Amino acid sequence: MISKTLLTRVLEKALSTGADFAEVYVEHTNEHNIAMIDNKVDSITDQLISGVGMRIFLGTRCVTASCTSLDEDDLIACAGRMADALGGVPANKTVRLQERLFGDIHPIRIVPQDTANSVKVDLLKEGYFAAKNYHQDISQVRANLLEVDHQILIANSDGLYAQDRQIRTRMTVNAFASKNGETQSGSCSPGRRMGLELFDMISPKSIGEEAARQALVMLSAGYIKAGRMPVAIENGFGGVIFHEACGHSLEASSIAPGQSQFCGKLGQQIANPKLTALDDGTIPNAWGSMNIDDEGTPAQRKVLIENGILKSYMVDKLNGRRMGMESTGSSRRQSYLFDPTSRMTNTFIANGPDRNEDIISSIEYGLYAKAMGGGSVNPVTGAFNFSVREGYIIRNGKICEPVRGASLIGKGSEIIMDIDMIGNNLDTAQGMCGSSSGSIPTEVGQPLIRVASITVGGR
Amino acid sequence: MKYTEFKELVMAAAAAKGLTEYELYAEESDNISAETLNHEISAFSSSSVTGACFRCVSQGKIGYASTELYDASEAQRLVDDAVENAAILETEGEAFIHAPGDEYTKVEEPTVTVPSASELKDLALKIVEASYAADERIIDGTQSNTRFKLSRTYLSNSKGLDLARTSAFTSAGSYPIAKDGEEMFSGFYSKAGDYPELDPLSIAQKGVEDAVSQIGASSVPTGTYDVMFSNHVTSMLLSCFLSIFSAESAQKGMSRFAGKEGEMVAAPCVTLTDDPFCEESLNKIPFDGEGVATRYKDVVKDGKLVTLLHNLTTAHKAGIPSTGNGVKAGYASQVSIQPYNFYLAKGGGGTTEEMYAHLNDGLYITELNGMHAGASPVTGDFSLASAGFLVKDGKKGGPVKNFTVSGNFYQLLKDIALVGDDWELRPPMRGVSCYGGPSFIVKGMSIGGK
Repeated sequence: MISKTLLTRVLEKALSTGADFAEVYVEHTNEHNIAMIDNKVDSITDQLISGVGMRIFLGTRCVTASCTSLDEDDLIACAGRMADALGGVPANKTVRLQERLFGDIHPIRIVPQDTANSVKVDLLKEGYFAAKNYHQDISQVRANLLEVDHQILIANSDGLYAQDRQIRTRMTVNAFASKNGETQSGSCSPGRRMGLELFDMISPKSIGEEAARQALVMLSAGYIKAGRMPVAIENGFGGVIFHEACGHSLEASSIAPGQSQFCGKLGQQIANPKLTALDDGTIPNAWGSMNIDDEGTPAQRKVLIENGILKSYMVDKLNGRRMGMESTGSSRRQSYLFDPTSRMTNTFIANGPDRNEDIISSIEYGLYAKAMGGGSVNPVTGAFNFSVREGYIIRNGKICEPVRGASLIGKGSEIIMDIDMIGNNLDTAQGMCGSSSGSIPTEVGQPLIRVASITVGGR
Repeated sequence: MKYTEFKELVMAAAAAKGLTEYELYAEESDNISAETLNHEISAFSSSSVTGACFRCVSQGKIGYASTELYDASEAQRLVDDAVENAAILETEGEAFIHAPGDEYTKVEEPTVTVPSASELKDLALKIVEASYAADERIIDGTQSNTRFKLSRTYLSNSKGLDLARTSAFTSAGSYPIAKDGEEMFSGFYSKAGDYPELDPLSIAQKGVEDAVSQIGASSVPTGTYDVMFSNHVTSMLLSCFLSIFSAESAQKGMSRFAGKEGEMVAAPCVTLTDDPFCEESLNKIPFDGEGVATRYKDVVKDGKLVTLLHNLTTAHKAGIPSTGNGVKAGYASQVSIQPYNFYLAKGGGGTTEEMYAHLNDGLYITELNGMHAGASPVTGDFSLASAGFLVKDGKKGGPVKNFTVSGNFYQLLKDIALVGDDWELRPPMRGVSCYGGPSFIVKGMSIGGK
């Protein structure tokens, strides 16, 4: 993308006013998104994202710059503006780049860019019409097939020169069911860090059918009555509860400035003793996986919480300096336009000691959240919320009628103590996580869990 | 390569391929920003970015391709890919490249002050110092940021349309953290405008007030309450449920307002307006993402639906002119439908204090969280984590949090009992759209609490 000679010159220019570290991140990303609605292929978005993001550190101060242009003069000027903003004395540092090959643990069999549009449209139509033809009450379907081919190059003043190519594929089907003027929706959107071979594992038909099934169930559901109650949250996207309630508050971007309820709690009991949780960026071909993070540090498998004891935060280089800790390979950014910071990869609660049937039968009256929607958290206060996409009332230990309109709210540090039963059917699901360094692919996961008591919104 | 040179290459490649209807749309922006942590500047950034999107009509369909890399081979790729992408579409008869002839409202070139790097840093430092000084419960972790953004948009097409617009503003925000006992509270306030108009003291104070006013908040019992939504919440709700007013959603069966023009869809006290030239807005936009002239319109007038928001495609289907709302969320995006300055008009209920008196007893909701997941623009349903204050005997009382408010937006529009006059327009969160309005009162909302 950019020659080593030019990268070296840019880094040296960036260091010219006394910075103790400089980094250049070069990106070349092809995004291709085919969308269907109204039974028709409706649009194709086809974008090349190309540019450079740079950073310099002096202690814990950071100056960043980004530019779209790859022209030599523009890059040197960009590095110069960054150095000027630091405004220190020249240190006359030289940089020698040494390439490192970290290897690729995410093999790709069918690179989407090399496949004809017509093949992708056939896959998308299979998913689309599986939803549309599922039932006469399915009134509309929206579906898209996204492929991303993300190539990055990272060079820094420590001499690191590393590259990675990250290919991701995802199909999303949203189905809408309507009857008597009312509409409800269902959705299914599996993705992997792989090519079109994804659809050998997960058929587009199953994606469409799942979205339609969910919409129909919700169309027949009544509204849940609000109140505090025990809740059983199913595996897969249910893991969003840990992601929101706890994960974000364990990112160094919250910990280093003292903006988290978990500051200074390493080694302490912060969760129910049954709970062990990990962030693992090394799972082959998983949606949130990578070979190296966006600072060129290899991805790691980290135990965040072990039997309720806080073991590790997720740390990037800059916040690591503020905390006196090493990077855990957690630095991520949406693109060269965003400053990287500590983020999650594939984050999940490990299997626990309880039998799934015992979790359901333990609840006299409560909610079974079979599928979760998204959520959000304020890491400072720990206040989180998320929506239940497909819920059912549990009565006398049995799953009964479906309910719509439920949301769960609470405080992170309290709910992870209140997760008092953990089953053994760990599964994961894919999402896009939005935070200060942009929108990035992350995976969430858990087995079936019980939360002893939580506020359920409804009407 | 600069944009002007790249544009020539793309237009030449399009003509050489035998295309007759095509358009190049580009956005450029320059940003500088400063951020503090505690008492120091912790980060400073600058960026200079650009991207261009080519669209062309091929076999009656419109193909897109876009890039950030301006060189000869990309110019050719844009044209080739757009034609190839058009071939697979199934949307014949929905492709429009707009011809000249519209009367565009003249917008003054912004006479903004461009702050220097050190002025932006100073403003951020003043905000953070004023935040610490405003209240002794403000602790480390407190941040502020400042940003200057200059953006330019260009649209040129094969029919001879050649348009450009510029916008520029400075924004400043405070993010204080307060501590009371073991509990922490975060506050937020931001303002956008011309640099000299941004008062660090008031920005700091409003942020701190937001943080400390939550101290001592508890939940409320589950039940049914009369609710007053703050002017901030009004803008959040309009932003979240915008697609209800989009003709594209309506034509695709995803808005209940399809075919409801001329009917009462809201309480008679509700008027919703989209004004691209709203005086209070930094966003004055004379042409949309298809090159159509923008204009003022009431979407709902005294409870009656006047028009949905249209782009060229939806307007063609409906047999009416476009309302000039064919907006691109980003340069590479498909033309969708967005408003410019979309707001609930003042309703005569008076100031915020007078609105408490009208509410008498109930909840004043100032915060809604989780809109992206807990609210569905298609069904209208919402169930959202909320915070705010009790209102007792017509006066604002203590803070409350950790409860949900649930309902359906279509019903909510009909149930609005009173609209206040404490009107405010919020700076755009992303894209071009600003949302605003005054506070309003709805009786009998479902609240889930302790």
